[in-house]
Amino acid sequence: MNDTPLSTDRRLAPDASEAAFRQWLRRLVTGADELKAFDAGEIDAVMDRDSGSAVLLPEAQSALHDSSRIVLNALDALPGEVCVLDSNGVVVMANKAWRLSGVAHARAGLDVRAGENIFAACRDVPAFERVYAEEMDSGLRQVLTRVRQSAVCRYVCDASQPRRVCTFTIAAIAGEGPTHAVITREWSSEPTLPKHSRRRAEPAVAGAGNQLLAALSPREFARLASGLETVTLTYGEILYEPGEPMQAVYFPSDCLVSLLTLVEGRRALEVGLVGREGMIGARLALGAATSSVRALVQGTGTALRMTSARFLREFRRSPSLQRTLFQFTDTLMIQISQTAACNRFHIVEARLARWLLMTADRMASPEFHLTHEFLADMLGVRREGVTMAACALQQRKLIHYRRGDIKILDTPGLEAASCSCYRYVQTRAANN
Amino acid sequence: MATERRKHVVAKRAKKRLGDDAVTVVVMRLYVAGRAPNSVKAIANIEAICRQHLKEGYKLEIVDVCEHPRRALDDGVLVTPSLTKVSPSPGANIIGNLSDTSGVLAAMGITTTKQ
Repeated sequence: MNDTPLSTDRRLAPDASEAAFRQWLRRLVTGADELKAFDAGEIDAVMDRDSGSAVLLPEAQSALHDSSRIVLNALDALPGEVCVLDSNGVVVMANKAWRLSGVAHARAGLDVRAGENIFAACRDVPAFERVYAEEMDSGLRQVLTRVRQSAVCRYVCDASQPRRVCTFTIAAIAGEGPTHAVITREWSSEPTLPKHSRRRAEPAVAGAGNQLLAALSPREFARLASGLETVTLTYGEILYEPGEPMQAVYFPSDCLVSLLTLVEGRRALEVGLVGREGMIGARLALGAATSSVRALVQGTGTALRMTSARFLREFRRSPSLQRTLFQFTDTLMIQISQTAACNRFHIVEARLARWLLMTADRMASPEFHLTHEFLADMLGVRREGVTMAACALQQRKLIHYRRGDIKILDTPGLEAASCSCYRYVQTRAANN
Repeated sequence: MATERRKHVVAKRAKKRLGDDAVTVVVMRLYVAGRAPNSVKAIANIEAICRQHLKEGYKLEIVDVCEHPRRALDDGVLVTPSLTKVSPSPGANIIGNLSDTSGVLAAMGITTTKQ
């Protein structure tokens, strides 16, 4: 069997040598039944122990070649836009609808062609599309590394007019070797909002309690209002994670959001607190697409939400929004830097007092609900430390604390018990 | 205990549904070469035979030797399509596109049932 010079490469033998190839294959076949079926033309492949592979007969080869051509033609016949990627993100094929759409949309919407790498395309998008490209990049990587079976990514093409939104559905193509992926692309003209925190969507009400929006002229607010929707944010809900794209910005009306910095990916320390005086996602205005902190809802209430893309458009065209936002960002920076110093130099009791006063200011209420664990995270201390500090404040009749329900009894007294940081940030914010 | 009783009930129901001669589930493995013509025919033929003569009393696994050549070699398969009867014993092996229904039934030890 091994004395033949022919190799399995003969699978690609031209017609003239088909007979010789068949004869060589026949020599690999042992057993009467196998030979009988081989001679009757009922065999597709013969196993070659030397190469450890199946060697296809010429008829089977051409039939398989035809069938793969049929699959490619079928993909081209599909009305939907489809492209297939290899494990490195290189486009193996893009169907006719995808190719035509790429031309029709002037290559907007992360258009890639056969041979191009989609990850390179994700890096090479305009700044305002980066947030969507990063989401796409991450979703695709998860599918190709088999972390997820599929992913759906929304991509807004801000460059196009009228504004177009496409939805990419990525699915893994399972097989023996490295995972491939198939992507479908659907276009729409209306943006769809991110799924998280969609509790209740209502049209935005003018002057909805957010001081930052209230500072805008009625005309400016009216223009923004069409992109705002009222949502309910609930205690414990995470709006952003560090390094993740900010899909939407939030203007709290009567809810409270903590900005937490994570150390070693798990231990959290509060560095900022935002309520009705500000917004969540102001970093977008500074040109960043991802969040640097975890934004955690710690006081249930309502907020006005706007998609990041819309916010950036409005921000670019409105000088008064820019002014208001820069003032807020400056105040937030003062708060963050003062908090950093406070955490290092002041005792837990004074810090807790400051923190309770800040919360009450932003909630516009002297009563709120917070657990020990939550407070410990906020102040970066152990739970026992929180208990001791809270008991001390309660003994001085400044607060009432029971099972997480906190009531401030004596605001001036609590101010006196707090460190100077509270008054300092208040004054600086007022001067802004 | 409860599981065993349930299994017994399931077996009794299967017996009632399939008739006395089809109590046991026939486990088969068909080795094919992708969508090559004889392989496609073999899949269609065995599925038709199973539907007609075994109803639900069978398990058929299809192995593509283009994707899993090592498995075929380890199982001693020389050519495809090739049908192997795994259980119940005695085992059997049939080569070709399985168009000879009576030959397949005889080799597999399946008694024909009237429809």
